[in-house]
Amino acid sequence: MDVDNYTELLPLITLGVIFFIIAVSALYWSAKKGQLRNFDAQAKTIFTDEEPEGEISDSFPSKQKNKNN
Amino acid sequence: MSVSQSNSSSESPYSSNSEAVRAELSEIDASIRSASLFFVISAISWLMIGTVFALLAAFKAHEPDFASAFEFLTFGRVRSAHLNAMALGWGNNVIFAVGLWIMARLCRAPIHHKGMLLIAGIFWNIGLTVGIFGILKGDITSVEWLEIPHYATPLLAISYALIGVWGILAFRFRKGDHVYVSQWYILAALFWFPWLYVIAQIMIIWFPARGVVQSVTNWWFAHNVLGLWLTPMALGTAYYLIPKVLGRPIYSYYLSVLGFWALAIFYNWAGVHHLIGGPIPVWLISAGIVASVMMVIPVIVVGINHHMSVVGLHKEVWRSPTLRFIVFGAISYTLVSLTGSAMALRSVNEVTHFTHFTVGHSHHGVYAFFTMIMFGGVYYMLPRMLKREWPSAMLIKIHFWACALGITVMVIALQTGGWIQGLEMNNAEIAFLDTVKNTIPWLKARSISGVMLTIGHIAFATNVAWMLFAAGAVRAKQGPTLLDDTQKGGIV
Repeated sequence: MDVDNYTELLPLITLGVIFFIIAVSALYWSAKKGQLRNFDAQAKTIFTDEEPEGEISDSFPSKQKNKNN
Repeated sequence: MSVSQSNSSSESPYSSNSEAVRAELSEIDASIRSASLFFVISAISWLMIGTVFALLAAFKAHEPDFASAFEFLTFGRVRSAHLNAMALGWGNNVIFAVGLWIMARLCRAPIHHKGMLLIAGIFWNIGLTVGIFGILKGDITSVEWLEIPHYATPLLAISYALIGVWGILAFRFRKGDHVYVSQWYILAALFWFPWLYVIAQIMIIWFPARGVVQSVTNWWFAHNVLGLWLTPMALGTAYYLIPKVLGRPIYSYYLSVLGFWALAIFYNWAGVHHLIGGPIPVWLISAGIVASVMMVIPVIVVGINHHMSVVGLHKEVWRSPTLRFIVFGAISYTLVSLTGSAMALRSVNEVTHFTHFTVGHSHHGVYAFFTMIMFGGVYYMLPRMLKREWPSAMLIKIHFWACALGITVMVIALQTGGWIQGLEMNNAEIAFLDTVKNTIPWLKARSISGVMLTIGHIAFATNVAWMLFAAGAVRAKQGPTLLDDTQKGGIV
C-alpha cells in the first residue's frame, strides 16, 4: 500500500468510521441502560460484604494486627 | 453481614448475599489467580530487565564510551530496548495483571477461559523477548515506539487480540447491569489498543505510508499508547482502589463519567503536537494543539475527584501501601497532564522541542503516574490472591521512598536541564556543542535518580519473591477483607 494520496487510505477510513460508530453506539447504549443516571448508587457498587463501605481495607502489614475486627 | 440480611430491600444488589448468582470477591480472585500471578511475575522480570537497559542508556548519555565495545550495547539499541521492555514488558504485563483482575472483580463473576489468558500471556512474552533480541541484534526499525522488528510483531498482535477478546467475554458474562467507571476505562482501553497497534503496524511497518503521513501515524500511535492505553488503565485502577481502600465512594461519580467521555473524545487528536514545526499541514497541528489543551477538562475533573475522595482521610492514605503509591500517581497525573497541555502550545514547544524536557515529561507520565499506580494495584492485589500478608513493611517503605524521590529528582533534573538546553539552542550566539556539554550535570543527576529507582525496584522484587516462594515464613492474610472461608458462612 504505497500511499500517494488520501483516497488510497479508504479502507482505513472505513475502519475508522466503523470504530466511530461503535463508540457512539456505546455512548447511546450507556444512556439507554441508565448508566448515566443515579450516580450515587453506582459509585457504591464496588463495595460488598467482604470489602464493605466504611471500612479501611489496606494498611501496612505491621499495623494490620490492631485493625483486625 | 447481618446488616445485609436484615435490610435486603433497600440495599444495593451488589452487596447482597442473597444474590446467589453473584460471586464473592475472594472467589473471583481465586479464579483468576494463576493468570494474574503469571503476569505479575513477567511484569516484574521485565521491570528489572528494563531497569538494566535504562541504567546503561543513562550512563552512556554522559559517559559515551561506557560499555560501547559491543554493537549490541550501543546507545540507540539499549535505549530502544529499555523503552520496549518497560512499555510492552512491564507496562502491558502489569496491566494484564491488575487491569484484568479489576475487570473480573467488577463483573462479579468468576472468570472463564483462563487458558486463553495464559496462552496470550506466554505468546506476548515470547514475542517480546524475540523483539528485544531483534532490537539488540540490529534489526531495530527506525520508528520510535515501534522499534520491534516485523518478525516479532504478529505474535504480539495475536496475543493482544486474545486478551481483548477475553475482556469482551468477561464483560458479556458479567452479573449485574451497572458498569462502574473503572470498567468503562478498562474496556475502552482494551478496545483502543489493538486498533492503534494494528493500524500503526500496517501503515508504518508492513505497507509503509509515504512521507509525512508516516510521521503523523507514528505520533498518533505513540502518544495514544500513553493516553488511550496506559492512562485509562491507571485511572481505572485509581478509581477502583481509592474508594475501595478508604471504604468511601468516589466523591462525584458524575465527574468521573464526564472525565471518561472527555478523554475518549479529545485524546485521540493530541499526538500531533509532537510534530509542531514539522512539514505537515498547519491545520492538523492546530487541531492537535486544541485537543491537547482541551485535555485540561478531563484532567481537572479527575484531579478534583481524586482529591475530594481522599480529603480528610490523609492518615489512612499514608497507612495504606496501596494508596501511598496510588495517590502519588494521581497527583502526578494532574501535574504531568497540565505540563503536557502547556508543552503543546507553540511558544512553549519552541523551547522544549528536541530537548531533555520531553524525556522528563515521558518519565513523569509513564513512571510517576502510570507505574506508581500499578505498584499500588499490585500491593492490593497480591495479598488477596495469595491469602498471604506482605512479608516486609520495611521493603515497601524503601520501595516507596526510593521510587518517589528518584522519579522526582529525575523529572526536575531533566526538565530544568531541558529548559536551559532549549533556551540555549534557540540562542544563535551559543555554539551547539556548548549546549550539549551544558546538559551533562543534569544527565548525571538523571543517572543518580536511576540508581534510586533501581533500589526501589529491587526492594519490590524481593518482597514479591519472598511472598511467593517463602510461604512458611509469611503470615497469612488477616484483617478487614475477611478472606478466610470460616467468616463467609455457607456462601461458597
